[in-house]
Amino acid sequence: MSVEAIEIGRLLRGSTRGFVAGCRVSQLDVPAFGSLVRAPLQAGYQVFGLIYDMRIDDDGMVRQLAVTDEVPDYVVHDNRLNRNVPVELSVLAVGYELGGKISHMLPPRPPLCLDLIYLCSPQEICAFTNHGRFGYLRHLLQNKDVPLGELAAAHFQQTGAAQASCGKADWLTRATAELIVLLRDDYPTLMGVLGALSELNTEA
Amino acid sequence: MSETEPNIGYVIGGGLKASLQARLTVPAEKVQEGGFVIMETEEWLFYGLVTDIMLGATDPRFADEQSENRLPPQISRLLYQQALYTNLEVLPTLMLERGPDLGSPKYEAWRKEHPDGATPIPVKTIPPQHTPVRLASAGDIAEVFKGNFVIGYTREQGHPVQIDLERLVKRSSGIFGATGTGKSFLTRMVLAGLIHHSSTAVLIFDMHNEYGPDDIAADTGQKVLGLRGQLPQKVRMVGLGAGATIRGQQPDFTLELAESDIMPEDIEMLTRELNLRETTPATLSALVHCFGPTRWFAEFRQMTTNDYIEDDNGKKIPAPGSVQAWAAQNNVNELAAVGLRGKLERVFNLPYIVERPAADSLKKVIDSLESGMNIILSFGDHEADLDYLLVTNILTRKIRRLWEERTNQYRSHPQQHKEPRPLVIVIEEAHKLLNREMAGQTAFSAIAREMRKYGVTLLIIDQRPSQIYDEVMSQLGTRITGWLGDEEDIHAVLSGLAGRDALRGMLSRLQPKEEVLLLGWGVPTPIPVRTRRYNDEFWRALKGRDKVVTTNDLISRLGGDE
Repeated sequence: MSVEAIEIGRLLRGSTRGFVAGCRVSQLDVPAFGSLVRAPLQAGYQVFGLIYDMRIDDDGMVRQLAVTDEVPDYVVHDNRLNRNVPVELSVLAVGYELGGKISHMLPPRPPLCLDLIYLCSPQEICAFTNHGRFGYLRHLLQNKDVPLGELAAAHFQQTGAAQASCGKADWLTRATAELIVLLRDDYPTLMGVLGALSELNTEA
Repeated sequence: MSETEPNIGYVIGGGLKASLQARLTVPAEKVQEGGFVIMETEEWLFYGLVTDIMLGATDPRFADEQSENRLPPQISRLLYQQALYTNLEVLPTLMLERGPDLGSPKYEAWRKEHPDGATPIPVKTIPPQHTPVRLASAGDIAEVFKGNFVIGYTREQGHPVQIDLERLVKRSSGIFGATGTGKSFLTRMVLAGLIHHSSTAVLIFDMHNEYGPDDIAADTGQKVLGLRGQLPQKVRMVGLGAGATIRGQQPDFTLELAESDIMPEDIEMLTRELNLRETTPATLSALVHCFGPTRWFAEFRQMTTNDYIEDDNGKKIPAPGSVQAWAAQNNVNELAAVGLRGKLERVFNLPYIVERPAADSLKKVIDSLESGMNIILSFGDHEADLDYLLVTNILTRKIRRLWEERTNQYRSHPQQHKEPRPLVIVIEEAHKLLNREMAGQTAFSAIAREMRKYGVTLLIIDQRPSQIYDEVMSQLGTRITGWLGDEEDIHAVLSGLAGRDALRGMLSRLQPKEEVLLLGWGVPTPIPVRTRRYNDEFWRALKGRDKVVTTNDLISRLGGDE
């Protein structure tokens, strides 16, 4: 675990397949769609997950403000800073680490309420995504709720950069090839995913 | 074995009957139809021929859509690598036991069972899925195609392919190919190899004077070296008829046929050529009955027609010595006899059939063949079908009888008689002699069928194999065939061979020039080869080899060259 771990929220609810973390708006500039996060539970055991959704729910105050004629800046600012309802980060469980060993299987136990959730550092990203042969991608493919193409593109973009900094510049190519292998019998899905990945390429 | 080639794919399915399927892991253009591939398992080496190359996709839409227009190049490349593939159809032909490792304790026992090492046998089982497939190396080719004469090179990698000429001529064989496919160059090379290397006597009926004298190639205009000039100690060029010259060259001796050599069956064989009637056999039989088998031709030749005299009563009667007089005396149909005499005029006019030849040139031909010479009988100016049919048949009939006699003598009394020298009779335009109508009448079909026992075989050269009688074709052990366009010709060449369907496609897609398919008994497995060039270099290489080269020599030589 890195010394300067970036905390992004606390667990609201969870299950074996994923969990939801709540965070303050002030914390929201750090996590991103597709980021790899971890939830340390006890010494030597932590659950890894991918952020696949962020949700900002309204409350009564926001509803009232929204229909007010003019909302001064300080009111907007105050509402964001001191809101009652947290921003919700939906996380897909993709693996865990137990006793220093990384696994791409689902975690044996989900994290508990109010467990702290941290963003993974590039080193942690590299360690997790280099393990095995992209086994964690199957969790993305099996979960019908996640926007697969977009999530894969966002995740590949962030991880590709992290891997490049770890000296594995070919990771992105290998990961794309693996995804194609996994999806080659599902033409519409694969073309959707590749479409999203092409955006990545044109950006780069 | 020398260096091994890298893998090009792996077996994914198929069977003995339906050919094996292999997934290609290299680009499709690295492999060509007819490529010789090896599949290696723990115990066996399987040899096979690529008979088809097919494109496939995990989903047809990957192939339909040109995704490279929509996706960035690196992604479309990755996609194509995973979703598009090429399958090979491999016709398994041979398998070779690998045997235990040299160092292993089982090796001694295995070696005792296989004193000559393992030899390839026809394939009886198949390699399992995921067996790696690789292209054959020069060493692999040499291991399978053991021989003494390089006939050509594999198409993709140019590894030399050898044939065993001694084996080739143990049974009748054929060289086929449409006109202009390099048939006569290939024949020249095979003949040169046969004459130079093997102990077999070769008798060539050179209808178009191609093989003996130097020639000019029809398409390139370059000089083509003849066999007589290149192998003067082993080849005798024989001209037909006294005073014959072959392309301005003086032959070693000339051949004349005696009238007594002509048998009634020689004439019957010409039925189609001379447009003879069905009464001919009866008339001929009467002639033989009347004059004897050696005199009939001479007597009939001297008879006159339409020659009448008046008898004592002033009545017109046939003159003595006329056909009509003979017919009347012998109860032969007069019209039939006169008709036959007229039609045989063409034969009677042949200048090389004489009453008494200056020397017994026929005996000279046979003696030469027996004494280690090889004969090229050039037809010179007598290039008509009539000459060809008549002369080849008479000569072959005599040779056949002689060889049969001598073999029987040798078999009864091996101490007193020498075994006759094996003989190959080379006939061009073989369909003229071996078509359905003629085959029964000429000596050739008998040779193709049964003369193997007596050491006489045929080497048939033809451009229309479909015209050759099926029974003769089916007796051909080895077939070397260039491109054939006609479906029937292809069918004829492949008759009686395993894997016909696969080979048919290969044959029809041979390059029209300088590519041939080797098939049949004389080669361990069918294989398409790029033929050697017939030029000065060929002769240098051929003559440079005094000793018979072993496979091991060849392998080491190949290793040294590369």
